[in-house]
Formats: sequence, C-alpha cells, structure tokens
Amino acid sequence: MTAATAAAGAVQLLGCVAVAPLLPGTVQHLKARLQGRPGPSPLQPYRELRRLWRKSGVAPQPRTVIYELAPATVAGTLLIAALLVPIGGHAPDWGIGHDALVLVGLLALGRFAIALAAWDTGGAFGLIGAARDLTFAVPVEAVLLLVVVVLALPSGSTDLLALSALATTAEAWSEPAHWAAALAFGIVVLAELGRQPVDNPDTHLELTMVHEGPLLEYAGRDLAYLQWAVAARHWILLVLATELFVPRPEPFLAQVATLAGALPTWCVVLAVVETTQAKMRVLRVPVLIGTGAAICLLALISWHVRGGA
Amino acid sequence: MTARPDGASGPRSAAAITRVAPAGWRPACLRAHADGARFAGLFGAPRGGRAVELRAVFSTPAGERVIACETPERAVESVVDVLPAAAWDEREAHDLHGVRFVGHEPLRPLLDHDAALERWTVPVAGRDAHQVAVGPVHAGVIESGHFRFHVVGELILSLDLRLFYKRRGLEAAATGRPAEDAIAYAQRACAACAVTSSVACAQACEAALGLAPDDELRRARTVLLELERVYNHLHDISAICAGVGFAPGAAAYAALKERVQRLNLRLAGHRFLFGSVRLGGSDLAPAAADVADARAQLRTTGDEHAALWRQLHFSRSLQERLDAVGVLGRDDAERLGAVGPAARAAGLRRDVRSESTRLCYGGFAPVTPAVPAGDVASRMTQRAIELEQSLAVLDELLADPPAPGRTRAIGPTAAVAVGRVESPRGATTCLVELDGRRLRALHLRTGSYANWPSLVHAVPGSLLADFPLINKSFELCYACVDR
Repeated sequence: MTAATAAAGAVQLLGCVAVAPLLPGTVQHLKARLQGRPGPSPLQPYRELRRLWRKSGVAPQPRTVIYELAPATVAGTLLIAALLVPIGGHAPDWGIGHDALVLVGLLALGRFAIALAAWDTGGAFGLIGAARDLTFAVPVEAVLLLVVVVLALPSGSTDLLALSALATTAEAWSEPAHWAAALAFGIVVLAELGRQPVDNPDTHLELTMVHEGPLLEYAGRDLAYLQWAVAARHWILLVLATELFVPRPEPFLAQVATLAGALPTWCVVLAVVETTQAKMRVLRVPVLIGTGAAICLLALISWHVRGGA
Repeated sequence: MTARPDGASGPRSAAAITRVAPAGWRPACLRAHADGARFAGLFGAPRGGRAVELRAVFSTPAGERVIACETPERAVESVVDVLPAAAWDEREAHDLHGVRFVGHEPLRPLLDHDAALERWTVPVAGRDAHQVAVGPVHAGVIESGHFRFHVVGELILSLDLRLFYKRRGLEAAATGRPAEDAIAYAQRACAACAVTSSVACAQACEAALGLAPDDELRRARTVLLELERVYNHLHDISAICAGVGFAPGAAAYAALKERVQRLNLRLAGHRFLFGSVRLGGSDLAPAAADVADARAQLRTTGDEHAALWRQLHFSRSLQERLDAVGVLGRDDAERLGAVGPAARAAGLRRDVRSESTRLCYGGFAPVTPAVPAGDVASRMTQRAIELEQSLAVLDELLADPPAPGRTRAIGPTAAVAVGRVESPRGATTCLVELDGRRLRALHLRTGSYANWPSLVHAVPGSLLADFPLINKSFELCYACVDR
C-alpha cells in the first residue's frame, strides 16, 4: 500500500464520519444567509448529533426487530458505501472492491431498510414518506445506473477507481456523453439528498414529507444514526460528483486539494438551487428524474453515433 | 374617498328583529333567503328551564335582519337543505345547547369530541381507500386541529375536520359584564383579527345603545381595520411562498409584514393593534410626524409589493405549484356561504366594506382576480390586489392625522343588535344582546368560522402533499372558532 492509498483510506473514514455533518450544516447556513437570515452555524448538525446521542430513545408500540435494526442497517450501509468511493483517485482495498454497482445496491439497501421500518410501525407519515421515497427511488436508481453505464463506456469498467482516473484526463470532456452524464448525475444528487426541488428538508409539515417522514418515529441514538446517515449520504454523493466529474491534475495531493475546494462549491450550488427553486408538486418529481434518464439515453446514442469503441 | 356626512346616509339603527314560534322558524328563514338576504350566522343561547333562544342573522344591503325563536322543546326544523352555510351553526347549537334540528341528517357532532369515529366522519368505501389522520398535535408550531383524510395513494377523496379542541368560554365569560367590557372579550377571540372582532362588537353594542359614530371615529376604525388587513395579507402571501419552500418570496413578504407591524406599534401602541378599539369613541391620535412617516412607509411598502409580486409572477417553480390546486368553484362558494378573499377569488364580488355605513369606505367596490378560478393561485392573487386597494384606502385616510372620535345618540336603544365587519379572512358577524347596559349574550362568528366548510370542500381531488398549501391559501384561524 502506497502512502497515497493509506492517506486516501484515512480521508475516507475521517471524512465520512467526522466531516460529513459539516456538509448539510454548510448548506443550511448558506441558505439562511441567502434568505437574509443569520441562520444556524454550519456546526449545528454536530450539536444536534451530540444532543440526540445523550437522549434516551422512545420506541413506538407495536414494533419488531425490523424497526430496531433499521438505524444500524442504514448507518452500516452508508459507512460501507463511503469506503467504496475513492479519494483523489486512490482507495485502499477494504475487501469489498470499488464497483459502482455495489454502491447503487448499498444506497438501495439503506432505503429499503428504512421503508421496512416505516411499514413495521405502520405510522401514517412514515408510510407516506417511505412510499414517496420508493416511488422516486425506482427512476433514481435507474438513472444512477445509466450514469454509471455511460461513464463506463470509455474504460469498459464500472470500477470507481477506473472511472475516477478517467475524469482526470481532458479527453473525457471531449465526449458529449460525459457532459450528459454530469447533468443526469446532478438530478440524482438532488433526489438522493432529498433537497429542493425534490424534497424540502426544512419542512415541519408531516403531509409533505418524503425523507423526513420515516424518521418521525425515531428518537435518541437511533435518530442520531439516521441523521448522521443523511450527512454521510451528502458526503458520498458530493465526493462522488467530484471524483467522477471535476477535471483535476494527476498528483494525489492536487486531487485532494481539488476535493477540498469542490465540496464547499457543491454546498453553494445546493444552497442556491434550494433558495431559488420552490419544491415540486410531488407527482412531478418522477418526471424530473425521467428527464435524467432521457439525457443518459441521448448520451448512449451520441456515444454510438460518434463511433465509440 | 371621504367620510359620508354625518346622518346623510347615516348608520342604520339596530337590526330588524322578527320573532317567530318554533313552527315558524324554517318558513321565516327560508323567506329571508328567498328575499335575497344572505345567511350570516345562527346562534343559540340558553333561556330559563329547558328553553333555548335561537337567532339567525341575515344580511341585506339595507341592514341586518334577525329571526329570533324561543324553543322550549329545543327542537326546530332544519334549514340546512336550503342553506348549507348553516350546517356548522346547527351542529354547534346542537352540541352546545341540545337543540334538535329536524331534517338535518345525519347531524354529525362538531364540538362534541366523545363521538365515535363513524359518527363524525363521512363514510368512504371502495378498494384501496384508507384514512390518514393528522393532528391535533403537529410536528410544527400549529394550532390544534385534527384532519382526517380518506385517500387513495396521494389522491384525497374526502376530508373530515375536527377543531374546537380548546374550551375557552369567552362568550359565557362575557355574559353579565358591562357593555364597555364586551370588546375585551371579542378582541381576544383571535389575535390576527383582533381589530375586526373588536369593531364588530363595538358596532353591535353602539347600535344597541342607539349610538352612531362621528366622522373621526369612523376614520380611526377604518385605519385600524386596513392596517390589520395589510399585515395579514402580507403574512398570508409569505406563508403561501413558505408552504412550497420558495424562500425568496417568503422572506421578502415576511420583512414587509414586520415593517407594517412596527408601524402598528408606532401608530396604535401594539403590534397586533390590541386595545385600540373602545366602545363609544376612539383615542387614536398619533403625532402628525408619525402619521406622515407611516404614510410614506406604506407607499414604499406598496411599491415593494408591486415589484415583488411581478417577480413572483415570473417565478415558474412557484406558479406551477399554485395553479388548479384546491379549487373552490363559484357555485360552491355561494352555497357554502364562503366569505372574504376565498369567496372573491372564486368570483363572488362581495365585501362587507361596500355596505359599512358605520365605517369610512365611501364608494368602495370589491375586486376579484381577472380570472377568478378559485384555486390557490387565485386566492394568493386576490390578496395581492386587495393589498393595493387597502394601501390606497390608507393613503387617503392618513392624509390628515386621525383625531379622537366619539359617538352621539341617534335613536332608540334595542335589546339585540348586530355588527358586521370584513376581516382579512372574510365577514365577521357579532351579535350582542343587552340588558340595560349589561351583556346578556355575546356571539361572534368570524370569517374563519364561515370558511372552514369551504376549505373542506376545496380539498378533495388534490394531492395529500398539497393540503398544507391549500390550508395556507385559506389561512383560517383555529382559535376564534373555539367556544
């Protein structure tokens, strides 16, 4: 293992566990400033996690082991998913490989666990939220897979290390397919992170909730795991966006520096989108995601028309 | 828009009262309805023994008509088949005073919360239909209200409401107090409509005491009412923007509302204009410099509103959420007795301000949107155009600083009188019964009370996720319907 790989592994763990809450915190902070409010500090999610960690849990009745295992399952899948994502084109072999398709599966598994938990307790808002989440998830997963397929066309591999290495080359951006994939991935990020216009993370209105709904029943440490998982999801997708789409020089340190610059930039982009766009009507969201699928299909067509190998 | 010369088309005296026997209740109500009078409320009050006094208020451009009926058997024929607007009133009179309304079937409980689910909800049958219950405890800071939806997936089939979670006893507490105290009780029904309820109560008491306001008193009360409308409408537009997560609109209109509330504080000493209305006169006399400054600030508010409104109009992601959601048709609005911006947005060109002889609205004409579609977009547009109208009224009334006003005796006293005032949410009716100078009864039927049934009617056919938005577009109050 080279020093770069070891360092990448450290960033993977440290970033996912310790830096991740800073991302939604920064988005919330910037959003408040854009709206003319002082807003919470970017560190607010850490305070929330500390508060929840000290609180005792309240468990609904009736419930089964499905409800109890969901927070650990969600947190576990996201931790493993974070270990798949390379940092600066490097990643140690944790024994799980770096296949993008595994990542798609892990994200789906986390979603499945929380939907099952909502079903287990049978709370109306949990079920409504989970139902909406799954309704969106079907096209979101399809688009994410298509993005992976489009990106895998030049290298013929869905390995994230290979895909990340490809992005460091200038040639990648000479392909229209790469641009299309970037656009579609942007839609995936909005949907996966539950941000406006897909979902409103700030809402207190139970009837409009998507991702928040199934979390309503949880309290204490269980909720802390789930809140951390939301932050980890931000980390994974925003790091992935950087690794797959941001052009950068080859050396490892330069790549890490790019990542350090790109993450705050993504936070700004999310805050601006969330401030300028109202939340969509709930049944229009699949149409938005469908647009992402159409873009990917155009990318595939363009690749073949241009005679890609 | 100047005050009418005192006495020329002066304030009407107390309401015309028709007293009927229980058997004559329904025919008398139906006759009033057939004559073109609009239903404006039905109130019950206990009398000695088992008897209950029922009073129905009908409003005509010439004044209010009250049909009164003492029923020892506590039973009259229902009018709900002809006047669906009276449905909540009859249900309330039944739950509070045990009056049976023969022919009102099923007479679902309204205030009575002990009833089984099947008794107070409308049955829905069919494949995949299920219930979603929301409240009375909500995830945010929202008043207690229980909403029970029947849905298929995201589609709402029907909605049942259960409000009345607080026992306030305002009307009971007011009974027996001196007439001067009545306003204190009416005002506390609801903070956002405090001036409206106060003025309605003041007008009713003054009509009963045979008093008429002078020009200064009319002007002062009109200024207060319009200040209340301006900050409420600004708030409601902000709330609709916040309901769809459109932060720029929500923040900008919230800032305008804050500015107007600070003006309220400077002009009348209270951000919600509490304590600014009293019986028989007005002490509102702000300094000339404050009034001139307020007038300038209101003009700026109007300009900023116009600019912001144009921006909202061209914000596609916002407009997409508002169109064709929560539609209240014109005929339904008429039938259900909808009032205020909700009724005007559905095309009913009707506003108590145009017939308020005890206020200073000379030549007032109600406005409606160009296309009164009765949806969320129309209700928001309605508020935007009413804002311009209210700011114009204020600009004219504040040309000179308000001076203390008073009343003078114009006619005989009456035991029962009615005051009707247009609140930011619609027509508010206040009926008082005086025994000398003491209150024998005080009844308040606010614009919110009148509009809740219309909200229930506007919801089916929309998506569950859109309900909070539809609710905000009506922006009804929970507290002032509590009994």
